[in-house]
Amino acid sequence: MHTTQQSVRITRGRRVLIGASAAAAALASLTLSIASAQASARAQGPTLVVYSAQGYDSAVVTAFNKTNPGFIVTLNDNSTGPLLQQIQAEGTHPKWGVLWVDGSQAFAALDRQGKLAKGIVPKVSFNAVGRANIAADGSFVPTGLTATGALVYDSSQISPARLPKTWADLLKPEYAHMLGMNDPTQSGPTYPLIAGVMNDLGHYTNGSPASAIRTGEAFFTRLKKNGLVINATNGPTLGAIQSHKIAMAIIQSSAGYGAEISTSPTIRVAYLNPVTALPGTIGIDGLMPKTVQDEARKFVDYVLSPAGQHVMQIGDPQGDSLFWPVLNGEKPANKVIPALSSVPMQTTNPYVWGPLENQINAWFTAHVTNG
Amino acid sequence: MTSTSTSLVTRDTATLPGVAVSPSSATRPAPTSPARRWPTLAWGSLAIWVVLGLLIVAPVVSFLLLATSPRLFQQGSSYFTLRYVREALSGTTGRGLFDSLWVSVVAAVSSTGIATLVAWLVQRTNVYGRRVWGLLMWLLLLVPTWMMTLGWGDLLQPYGAASTVGLPVSWLYGEFFGPLGIVIVLTTAALPFAYFIVSAALRGLGSEFEDAARIHGAGRLRTVRTVLPILAPALWSAVAIGFAETMSDFGVAFTLGYHANFPMATYTLFAAISNFPANFSVAAVIAVLLIVATIPPIVLQSRATRRRSYAVLSGRTRTPRRREFGPMARVGVTVGLGAVFLVALGAPVLGAVVGSFVRNLGIYAPAGVHFTTASYAAILHPTIADKSIGAPLVLSNQLGIVVATATGVLAYVLGRRLGAGRGGWGQRVTDVFLLGTVAIPGVVLGVGYIFFYNLSAISSHLINLYQTLPLLMLALTANALPGQTRFMAGPLAQVQPSLAEAARVHGAGRWRTWRSAQLPLVARVLVWGWLLTFTKTIAELAISQVLYPPSHEPVSVTIQAYLGNYQLGTGTAMTVLTLLEMLAVIGVVLGLFRLLAPRGWRRIGWSGVRT
Repeated sequence: MHTTQQSVRITRGRRVLIGASAAAAALASLTLSIASAQASARAQGPTLVVYSAQGYDSAVVTAFNKTNPGFIVTLNDNSTGPLLQQIQAEGTHPKWGVLWVDGSQAFAALDRQGKLAKGIVPKVSFNAVGRANIAADGSFVPTGLTATGALVYDSSQISPARLPKTWADLLKPEYAHMLGMNDPTQSGPTYPLIAGVMNDLGHYTNGSPASAIRTGEAFFTRLKKNGLVINATNGPTLGAIQSHKIAMAIIQSSAGYGAEISTSPTIRVAYLNPVTALPGTIGIDGLMPKTVQDEARKFVDYVLSPAGQHVMQIGDPQGDSLFWPVLNGEKPANKVIPALSSVPMQTTNPYVWGPLENQINAWFTAHVTNG
Repeated sequence: MTSTSTSLVTRDTATLPGVAVSPSSATRPAPTSPARRWPTLAWGSLAIWVVLGLLIVAPVVSFLLLATSPRLFQQGSSYFTLRYVREALSGTTGRGLFDSLWVSVVAAVSSTGIATLVAWLVQRTNVYGRRVWGLLMWLLLLVPTWMMTLGWGDLLQPYGAASTVGLPVSWLYGEFFGPLGIVIVLTTAALPFAYFIVSAALRGLGSEFEDAARIHGAGRLRTVRTVLPILAPALWSAVAIGFAETMSDFGVAFTLGYHANFPMATYTLFAAISNFPANFSVAAVIAVLLIVATIPPIVLQSRATRRRSYAVLSGRTRTPRRREFGPMARVGVTVGLGAVFLVALGAPVLGAVVGSFVRNLGIYAPAGVHFTTASYAAILHPTIADKSIGAPLVLSNQLGIVVATATGVLAYVLGRRLGAGRGGWGQRVTDVFLLGTVAIPGVVLGVGYIFFYNLSAISSHLINLYQTLPLLMLALTANALPGQTRFMAGPLAQVQPSLAEAARVHGAGRWRTWRSAQLPLVARVLVWGWLLTFTKTIAELAISQVLYPPSHEPVSVTIQAYLGNYQLGTGTAMTVLTLLEMLAVIGVVLGLFRLLAPRGWRRIGWSGVRT
């Protein structure tokens, strides 16, 4: 009896020991593998970290790393909001080497804070719209161009002949409850749209934009009264068109073309006069060591090279790849995109409109989104 | 007799997962001489608070200081200002706080009410499938709220899963995407916490109180009114934890709340830091208010339970008698219970699963609906434009294993101290701290980690962890620790110290004492606690999105990227596969436990669920 009890105890003990040992070994090997991966990554010296919200960024970074031995670029691929949160929280001890997002407002703010490297413009041939979106001090450059405020509509719900022709037309009763747009606090391209509408309707040229802001606020207030529907981002707004809750929306051009060539063949894109240029913009962290800044310049050069532009055009074929190139000699990735010359496009000053983002977004949230 | 009674009284207060407890003085180890005990106690406490300080206090305080001192982290020009307090209490942010408060009260009270009824049916009646309901409650606990809202959305939206199978539910869509849906989802999310707390209390409550009331002529309603107050400690605990969990929830606020123009505090906090430049100071004020909001439920709980004794267990406590329903009533009650779980779990899960097979989910289809596996193909064999599920899921599992294990060890130590304390201010501080930290939104912890661990003094001179997996692991551990500790504290306090003392008296060393006298009793709660943290870690989004190292994307971030681009089918397919993988891991771990653990380990100790 005693022997049996002892053997049972030994068996139990062994089972516990085996189980605990296996678990401990698995955990230890896992922790070690993760730690060693981190250590080996760090052992390779300073690496360039690209903070990007572009749909094709992963493809570009992969292609760059394959063709450029010597250093490895790592990618922090996230939405624009979290990326800018991280950059702001990192303060004067940054980890980002390159920032690559749509719009120039954030870059203008970073430039004013002295956080961007100057003179990063590669020696390539920019077209007119490309040149118009380069910072005067060369602290940020466009890599491609889309339009914000493009009129994306469902041709099965509204025929092209019935479409509004001007921004003022959107206030007509015949378009009541038919129009949607995104929430500027959630959707990166939407604040540039609002600023662009204020810039245009307020006939802003220089000086204080206060009058233009008031004109724009009056316009959006009336648009809201006419049944404007607000969704978070391009996706849900397109979803509202596709599920026939609305018939058209003012959003980013690439999102409209993406829907047209993928899920909804009846989606079309039209342009009110004017729409606002939304450049895919890239900038380099001026607080990084020179070695990292040199790596970053090589990356920017690659992005604006024919090889880089090609990868951008195939990296997100139904999304962000549907842009207009900003370089002479390059063509859009898909025939669905019209010639850039046929699109009435304005460029707003990011140094004027950028600092107003919080103020205008707060007003929009209170009076339009939740109004 | 004394010892038996003591044991049962301890069990009464201690078997409440999620509730910090103070065991009766009789269960505490005999006091040792101050000269011998003091150094050990001091060093142990110091070590624990250093760990808590580095994991939670320092990063969170770094963030909260911005409420009045934005200049400390170069986020403004003032070292002290109340401007952001006023800003946070006005406009949309003020409304968000109000909305969160009333929704949390409603969700906490209604989840406690429903959980009490479900627990009574499962514990005290002959309803069919009692073990199944317990397991389903576990499943409900493991599914994050953003997955639930995703499933509801997939189910109810125009051209969604329900309409593809011919169910006319479009009228429900507008109703659900509003305060009603928010309350429903948050109530179902808080339901398991309340259920486990109340059912543990019910198990210890003999049926003699009901019998006494009935004998004295009370009707059914009067009997319920007589017996229910005896469960007051458990009910107040359920309300407190339900309130804290609901206040801190971000998944529902970000999805249902946002789309219904119903701002909630966690969403307005997120919105404050979504703009550029981010307004961290307003976000910090909201975070402070979220934490402060958990104090009233704790105070109410404390006042309600202090006024009288609720010690109902004694050596004479009898095994509760089950109420025997007749055949028709038994079927009816079982169907009713099934309906609760259909709403809480079945509808969103079905919505997600069916939705993942619908071509162009949510899009008007004049040619009718078609089913397809294209979404699964896109994530299993991705093109250059798609993201594979493979690497992110493997990484999330690695994170889950490390975080669940580390959290388990820390929560065990903390839970033991919480249960074995003297009930003094130290324990109260720990108790309030742990409940308060439950209410801290993940994004606060994530951004706080950047502020603190990216400080030049730390990253340049001490340790450079920012943008590494270890820092993400630390943050996820910090996020899981408060809930895990409160989950374990009750069951751990059940363990009689006399068992360990007896082992030591008989010559066993510390390790052998723990292995032979403690581990068998706590093995089951350790396994379930590990599984809870593992699954919550895989599904965690707010911290992962802010802290994941470049090129190391966890699966929750990948799913969110798909859903954010309105690739609903692909995002939903990835969610379904992740859920299945999580369930498979749960199955494997429970299977191994059954295979490797001695039978006795599965029969004694914590009885939250039978494995």
